[in-house]
Amino acid sequence: MDATASSKFSDVDEYGFKRGDHFDYNNYSKFMDGYLKTLTRRRMKWEAILQQNTDLTQVDAKLKRYIRKGIPGPYRPDVWMKISGAAAAQRRSPDLFRNLLRTEPFDKEISDSISIDLPRTFPDNIHFDMKKQRLYNILIAYAHHNRDVGYCQGLNYIAGLLLIVTDDEEKSFWLLKHIVENIVPQYHSHNMANLLRDLAVFRELVIRRIPAVNRHVDNLGLPYPVIASKWFICIFAEVLPVETVLRIWDCVFAEGYKIVFRAALTMFVTHKNAILGCDDIAALANLFRDTMIQDNIVTDCHGFVEAMFSLRLKRSELESLRKVAVLNPA
Amino acid sequence: MGAREDEYDYLFKVVLIGDSGVGKSNLLSRFTRNEFNLESKSTIGVEFATRSIEVDGKTIKAQIWDTAGQERYRAITSAYYRGAVGALLVYDIAKHLTYENVERWLRELRDHADQNIVIMLVGNKSDLRHLRSVPTDEAKLFAERNGLSFIETSALDSTNVETAFQNILTGDVLHPSNVEPIDVKPTVTADVRKPCCH
Repeated sequence: MDATASSKFSDVDEYGFKRGDHFDYNNYSKFMDGYLKTLTRRRMKWEAILQQNTDLTQVDAKLKRYIRKGIPGPYRPDVWMKISGAAAAQRRSPDLFRNLLRTEPFDKEISDSISIDLPRTFPDNIHFDMKKQRLYNILIAYAHHNRDVGYCQGLNYIAGLLLIVTDDEEKSFWLLKHIVENIVPQYHSHNMANLLRDLAVFRELVIRRIPAVNRHVDNLGLPYPVIASKWFICIFAEVLPVETVLRIWDCVFAEGYKIVFRAALTMFVTHKNAILGCDDIAALANLFRDTMIQDNIVTDCHGFVEAMFSLRLKRSELESLRKVAVLNPA
Repeated sequence: MGAREDEYDYLFKVVLIGDSGVGKSNLLSRFTRNEFNLESKSTIGVEFATRSIEVDGKTIKAQIWDTAGQERYRAITSAYYRGAVGALLVYDIAKHLTYENVERWLRELRDHADQNIVIMLVGNKSDLRHLRSVPTDEAKLFAERNGLSFIETSALDSTNVETAFQNILTGDVLHPSNVEPIDVKPTVTADVRKPCCH
């Protein structure tokens, strides 16, 4: 705690998450010195763009560029709702969420499995205790809305983070629906078919872009589903530092599933040397589970997103890889 | 943890399975890092940790695979049963349903694990005495009838955690037939690199 005492930053972040014991305050301070200026500039630019364009349903080149540089926190809920199309979907069925909550009694098995996960969702967030009932509402409503998915573990983290950002159950519901049905369909369904397919696609991408890294991972014997299932299922929620996840989600809502691959590939590319430096499976597992998800590279959300977009990656490549992977999943 | 990471006489793979919320991840962290987290989080997918133990002068390196409990995750996790010499099938002594589901998990092992995998039925959360809903004798009898070994543990207060893992690991040493299908590497030189068990 000495590090906190001497730091201008609290041991709880702006979203209520406790910073870990090993949080690097010095480095974070250095990063924030620059990033705070970026945030201020960005906020002014966004104010201007929101005055001209309140529709935001068409993501043109300029808006896309702005989004990649990060949506300012206060605008996130509305901008996410609009650019994703979730707001339009909500307008088409304005009573859906409330009606779903009135369908009691709820399926007991689903309700029980959600309840098991409520205390296990963001226990490290000091505000989240008060949000548990609202998280339950979002998840139970969605589970009854989409019976193919029901409740899938991992959705608690996605919905929980949506709730933290929007502070609104209904918006969270619609954004969750958008993610599960439009961004990564069939990841969370009962056979998780597309998750297995996309993990195979991801491995193929690593083979193509950084073959030495794939060979090393294969040699040590850590399977890709162990490394990356959570990345894809939670779209990095409860994996990477919150601000980094939100910057990734800004782009996910604007540009779709391709961003998930960009982020996953960036994890490998930016940690290439660390991966190659592991000389056994345990070290590699530790790297992926602990070190890599909280180091300076991923804490610098701005740098990470820049690295994401410096990678060459086309939707057409992913689509053709998907066709092959269906026959040969991870 | 005692032995050097890259030296071992035996490499054993063990899987932790059982319903969501029974305490698999905390059993793992108690055994591999002597940690228990009251603020535990749901496991998504598969996690992995190792620890080496000494038995009769031999170093046994355990590779433990911890899996998400929700049924649909078996699409991912069942691939990791292969090559496992042992499975800790965990239920929560305070939640009867998690015990009732043990049969489903046994079927799952029968379908995906190697035939001679050693299975230990583990009644976890034995510290929750006042909330117990699965009597010890009943579970013990069930285990006997199904050819499983049996133990009750508490990852919270550490009771029997060490013993549970030790038993499943050393049981394999005592019955060499159990280890045939996997990669058992006697250490000849000091520098055997862990190959994986696939």
